[in-house]
Amino acid sequence: MTEHYWGWLVAIYLFLGGMGAGAFLIAAVIELSGKRYEQEYCPTTLVGAGVSGPLIVIGTVLLIFDLGAGLREPWRIVNMFTNWSSVMTWGIWILSFFIPIAFVYGVLEVMHVYPGILEWLRRWLRFLPETLPYRAIKRVVCSIGILLALGTALYTGVLLSVVQAVPLWSTPILPVLFLISAVSTGMALSLDLSATVMVPETPHRFKRLPVIHIALIGLEIIVLAVFFYISFQKGGEAAESVQLILTGAGSLIFWVMVAGLGLVFPLVLNVYALLRGSHGHVVGILAGAAIVVAGLFVRYLIVAAAIPVTV
Amino acid sequence: MKALQREMPESPKVGISESEERALSRRTFLKVGVGGGLLVAIAGKWMPFSEAMAQVQSDYALIIDLNKCTGCGACTEACNQRNNLPEGVSYIHRIEKGSELDGGCWCLPVQCQHCQDAPCETVCPASATYHHPSGVVLVNEKTCVGCKYCAIACPYEARVYNEETGVVGKCWLCLDLVLGGGRPACVDACIPGARIFGRRDDPEIAELLNSGRAQPLHPEFGTKPGVVYYIFRENGAHAG
Repeated sequence: MTEHYWGWLVAIYLFLGGMGAGAFLIAAVIELSGKRYEQEYCPTTLVGAGVSGPLIVIGTVLLIFDLGAGLREPWRIVNMFTNWSSVMTWGIWILSFFIPIAFVYGVLEVMHVYPGILEWLRRWLRFLPETLPYRAIKRVVCSIGILLALGTALYTGVLLSVVQAVPLWSTPILPVLFLISAVSTGMALSLDLSATVMVPETPHRFKRLPVIHIALIGLEIIVLAVFFYISFQKGGEAAESVQLILTGAGSLIFWVMVAGLGLVFPLVLNVYALLRGSHGHVVGILAGAAIVVAGLFVRYLIVAAAIPVTV
Repeated sequence: MKALQREMPESPKVGISESEERALSRRTFLKVGVGGGLLVAIAGKWMPFSEAMAQVQSDYALIIDLNKCTGCGACTEACNQRNNLPEGVSYIHRIEKGSELDGGCWCLPVQCQHCQDAPCETVCPASATYHHPSGVVLVNEKTCVGCKYCAIACPYEARVYNEETGVVGKCWLCLDLVLGGGRPACVDACIPGARIFGRRDDPEIAELLNSGRAQPLHPEFGTKPGVVYYIFRENGAHAG
């Protein structure tokens, strides 16, 4: 792997940003569609809303460690809001709106699920009402947040795809791949893992989940294949990068962690769940965890296989 | 005439006052400019690089004659000293080219090309990379956050991260020396005299540029390299 300038830290950031945005998207869609209220307790919105803000903050903190000025003169980071022609500046603006929105949504969702929190708060803050119009507020927060979450998931791909000096990255299909991966990792986290871990006694209530997963995995396989094919056809450094991933230094990670663990394994599990007619806990935990882990390795491979153009 | 005017670079702006020198050189500049413009206008059809060159607006040109470069590294050494760079960081890097089969090995010294459409300037989130009025691309070391996006975006790999300062630096053409009438340290240090430096309105430089002998490196990257040009090797070995 080449890892010139950007490596694991950036890959983890891209992964956490994508997964956080994806978890928010899933939760917000379930909230806005009203499915959240079909049952008394919805672990998906609770986990999706609660986790997306913290995940993105962790990613952003990692990114700050990667900055030259991060630990020396962190106040310089405000400069990063200034260049409108830089995709990184767009990203920082999107994040600075999305992170607060994600936290507000998380807090609202947790307070909605656990009304005791508000009661507890009212002991000190007597002006607070007995209850809040959670649903109305969340509707507004989710509607704005969905756009920002889409922006977050897409910009992580655009950040790389505008770099013409790295032929592997400079294709508009990369943001598409990152968006699909963001949605599928976010779904694995907030639907498979959360629901099965947090409500072990009830069978999974999203009967169509395996179908959605199978469709997403299928789509990811197609997009990955097209991405590799386009890059290979470009020749030169793009083709070298593809070779690095498929047959070179990155091949073990790709075939084991991405193709095997992230695509084939959850695909088989979800087909099994579909045939059995129910989405059990074991399937949920295993498939969910596999998709999440593979999401990180996809980002790492694409970041680390960046062979620059020959001068 | 309209076409000619479009081809002619606008009179360059410079931070220091040198109006007398300018008044003298303006006439030569005009002559060469009009002549060059004509040449470019005619030659534009079969000279792929001339168009990109005519669009470049910069005051200076640094021409590296690859027929003379021996790859001794004196330029890198002088640059490292001038900029007080730590071990392992250099603003000029050498790329080994060619092989015994195609006329022997040779060296391509690469530094910041001071692109007019500099990708590093576009991607820099902190606006730390900017153009000096002379066309030289500079880095504000007090603004740079060290995100290294520029280093990734530069197709010439001319941006280098300095672990000690946390800043992604690059060649700044020793602009302090140059504005004071001097030459960049790498030019003075070049033992075989492969580095030719001067103002664009200097007849000698203008002639070299307009003759098409000195060409930008990889104009196909679309960066419009603005200051550094190469006289490529005569045995047909072309960079890239």
